[in-house]
Parts: sequence; C-alpha cells; structure tokens
Amino acid sequence: MDLALQLLVNGVITGSHYALLGVGFGIIFATTRIVHFAYGPIFTVAAYMAWYSAAMLGLPIPVALLIAILAAVLLGVGSYVLLYEPFEKRQAPHLVPLIASLGLYIVLENLVGIIFGSGVRVVREFTNGIHFMGPVFFTTIHIWQVVVLVVLGGALAVFLRWTSYGKAVLAMTDNPEMARIIGIDTRKVAILVFAIGSAISAPSAVLILLKDGATTHMGFLAVFMAFVAVIVGGIGSIKGAVIGGFALGMVESLGMLRIPTEWQSSIAFMLLFLVVLLRPQGLFGAAMRR
Amino acid sequence: MSTAILEARDLCAGYGKKQIVNGVSLSLNTGEVLLILGHNGAGKTTFVRALFGLMTPMAGQVLYEGKEITGRKPAANVADGIAFVPQGHGIFRSLSVHDNLELGGFVEPDKSVLPQRLEQINGLFPILKERASQTAGTLSGGQQQMLAIGMALMHEPRVLILDEPSIGLAPNLVERVMSSITEINQRFGTSILIIEQNVPLSLPIAHRAAVIKTGEVVYEGAPEPLQDHVKLMQLF
Repeated sequence: MDLALQLLVNGVITGSHYALLGVGFGIIFATTRIVHFAYGPIFTVAAYMAWYSAAMLGLPIPVALLIAILAAVLLGVGSYVLLYEPFEKRQAPHLVPLIASLGLYIVLENLVGIIFGSGVRVVREFTNGIHFMGPVFFTTIHIWQVVVLVVLGGALAVFLRWTSYGKAVLAMTDNPEMARIIGIDTRKVAILVFAIGSAISAPSAVLILLKDGATTHMGFLAVFMAFVAVIVGGIGSIKGAVIGGFALGMVESLGMLRIPTEWQSSIAFMLLFLVVLLRPQGLFGAAMRR
Repeated sequence: MSTAILEARDLCAGYGKKQIVNGVSLSLNTGEVLLILGHNGAGKTTFVRALFGLMTPMAGQVLYEGKEITGRKPAANVADGIAFVPQGHGIFRSLSVHDNLELGGFVEPDKSVLPQRLEQINGLFPILKERASQTAGTLSGGQQQMLAIGMALMHEPRVLILDEPSIGLAPNLVERVMSSITEINQRFGTSILIIEQNVPLSLPIAHRAAVIKTGEVVYEGAPEPLQDHVKLMQLF
C-alpha cells in the first residue's frame, strides 16, 4: 500500500513535468502545425545556460533561470523566423519543416556538446531537500515541478482565455485561414507561441539540471515525452496536453507495481501505440482540418 | 454617378502556374450589392480571394477607395474596412458564439465599441444572442452562416465580400440569409459583393450583376436580364 502511495505521488510529480513540456510543445504544434522536434535541444541549451550562469559565473539560481528562459525564447523564435517561416512562405509540404526540425535538432545538440563538453554538468551549490509526509517522500525539486506547472499552466490559461492575443492563439489553433481572414497577423501569433512554448520549457530544464544534472542528450526525453503527451491528449488541445502529460506520468509510475523497472521507458511507447490504435485523435482532440 | 469603392483591373490569379482568373475587371460601387454568378470552377472564389489578399494576383490591380492595394495582406485590408466571409461557414468551430463574435472585432483598436456592435448584430440575428455560450461548431448550418456574417460585421466594414453564403443551406434559410444581406446593405450602408450559384434567390437582392465564365467576365450590368432563363443558360 505504501509503495502504491509513493508511486502515485511520483506519478503526480513526473506527470507535472511531462504536462508542462507537453503544453510548451503543444502550443507550438497546435497553433502553427509545426512538429518542432528542435524543442528538445532548446530544452538542453536552457539547462546548460542555467548551469553556466549558476556554476561557472556564480550567479543566483533565479538569475540563471532568467538567462535560460531568454536563451530558449531566442532560439525558439529564431528557429521559426530563420528556418520554418521561409518554408511556409514557399508553401512547402508539412514534411519539409519536420525534416528541417530534425536537422536543427542534430545541429543544436552537437553544438552543445562542442561548446560545453559531453560530461554531466551539475550545480554543486544547490542542495536538494528531502521531505517526508507519512509513508511517502519527495524532494524540494519535486515540489517545484508541481508548483511550476500550476503557476505557468494557470498563467497560460488566463492569457488564452482573457487576452486579445490569447484568443488570437486559440483562433489560429482552430482555423488558421479564418484567423487571417478576420485580420489576425498570423506571423506575430506564430512568433508569440514559439516564444511562449520555448519559455515554458526553460523552468523544466532548470529543474532537471538541479535534480539530475545536464547532459547533451537530455533534450531527447523532453521532446519525446512532450510529443507523446500531445498525441495522447489530442493534437490542438492544450488542456489535452496537460492531461496527456499526467496520464503518461501516472501510467509510467503506477506501471511499476506490475511491470519490472527495466521496462519503465517502454511504457510511454505502449501508451502512445494504444492511443493511436484506439483513439487516433487523442483524448481531447478533434479530427484535424486543413 | 456612383463611385467605385473596390475595383479589380485586369486581375489575373491562379494556383502555381495554373491561371484561373484571366484579366477580370469589375468594380463594386459605394452602397450597392453586386452579385457575381458563375458555374463551379468558373474562377469566382479565386477572384475574390485575390481581391481580398488571401492570394497574390499574377497580374492586374486591386483598388480600394481609389488607392492601390494589390497583394496587400488580409490583416491590412480588414483594418481598412474590408471584410470577407469565406465559403462553408467561416467560423471558429471550437470556440463559443460570443468568442467568435468578439474575435470578429480583433482589428478594432477601440475595444470599448465592441459591446454596442455586438448588440447591433444580436438585433440582426437574435439567435446568436440566445446561443452566445454555445460552441460554434454545434450550431446548425444556417446559424453558422449567420455567425460568420455577424463576425464580419463586428469591425463595421465598408465592404463585405460573401463567397456563396447559401451553400449547403435549406431554401428557407437561404431566403433568411439573403434578406439579412439586404438589411445589412440598407441599415449599415455596407457595399456588398456576393458570389452565388443560387440564381433565383440571389438575383432579387442585387443592384447589379456579373457573370464569370472560365475566368472571364461575360456579363456585367442590370440583374433583370438574367432572370431570363435562356439568356442565363447561354452565359453559363
């Protein structure tokens, strides 16, 4: 029973992390229809920038976080303006930006390795506290992972529901051509969602840096889990990405009750295959038009 | 003499290398309802898409209030007072009726005027007020068309372009939509360019009519002669 409770708590924590990644990746995907796989190495760059700022320059962690967010936003917006947008202007098929994104993924990941080296980078100045609550335990970083999802997810929901540009994002997600017809500058909205999606990835990256350290390949798991959360939750649904992320975290964690731990990393694949087979549009997705 | 508010001069447009509109010259006069007829594939939709800036014309000019706007982006055209209702209910299906209408006024810099406009549109289409919180995609076809027109009116356009508003609607709903188009023209003084295939129900609301065939204007003038079935068949 204690084990089940601990795995449930772990599921909430991991689910929060995946949900946040799913929201960042999903808002870009839903609004622009670009499968931005380079989201992974941008996550890595954010972690390394935070590590460099905190461990090498000795800056406080909140400042390092701001630098990480800035780096992620610049790279995210840069990848849209310099890479994806020229293909859009030429009305290239959707497969072309996807391949370009994979190319950018490889370039960025290798650049991180060349600049920072390939070892694990940790912030030794940070000590992760351990907290007990009855039979379960969690760390300070775990608390932050849940808090960051609640705060950023809530802020994003308020932005989308109550601001003019938030509604423009929802409009473009629903029907991009109609968004142009009512006078929405869809380029501005695309840049905005790349900035928001990338910014959201940075706090997650910094928390993983503080928890496990940064490696050049850390972005793969981030973008893969974000992708699975979006597909499970439903393409085009931001609420779906949150629930998809939680479902993924829960299944991955509670699955340990019955499935040997060496299979843990396969659970995401199994969930993905099941959803694609049984409900291809995802839990909250509608059939895509366009 | 009436003045042209929106004018196409020798407009050519198409997709890729395929030219569909071949040098169309037509003008919409201030305050009138201009009806464009033509069979499927005649180039009517391509013509209005090029006019509105959804596609870049291959050649020719578009003038709005005497000023050249050829190839200008839709966002600038909307902000300048041109609205477009595309074929097949131009709405945001996953958003509420209220959110759709509010988004219709996206380009309006003074958002404080929107509640009053919303009231005007609710007066024109009372059903939209009743269904304000309903998801737009769950409305009936006729209600979706009313919503699409309502959205276009939210920024008080001087020119309204409608691409086949009767498509997919039951005959009684087509009559309702056509009468609301007349009401918009008379009550708000909006100049309206309407593309249609439903000749019997759209001709009575038009001040002038044009027929496009294989990307060229084959008739332009009074709508009455087109009521002659034989004449119309010759043009089609």
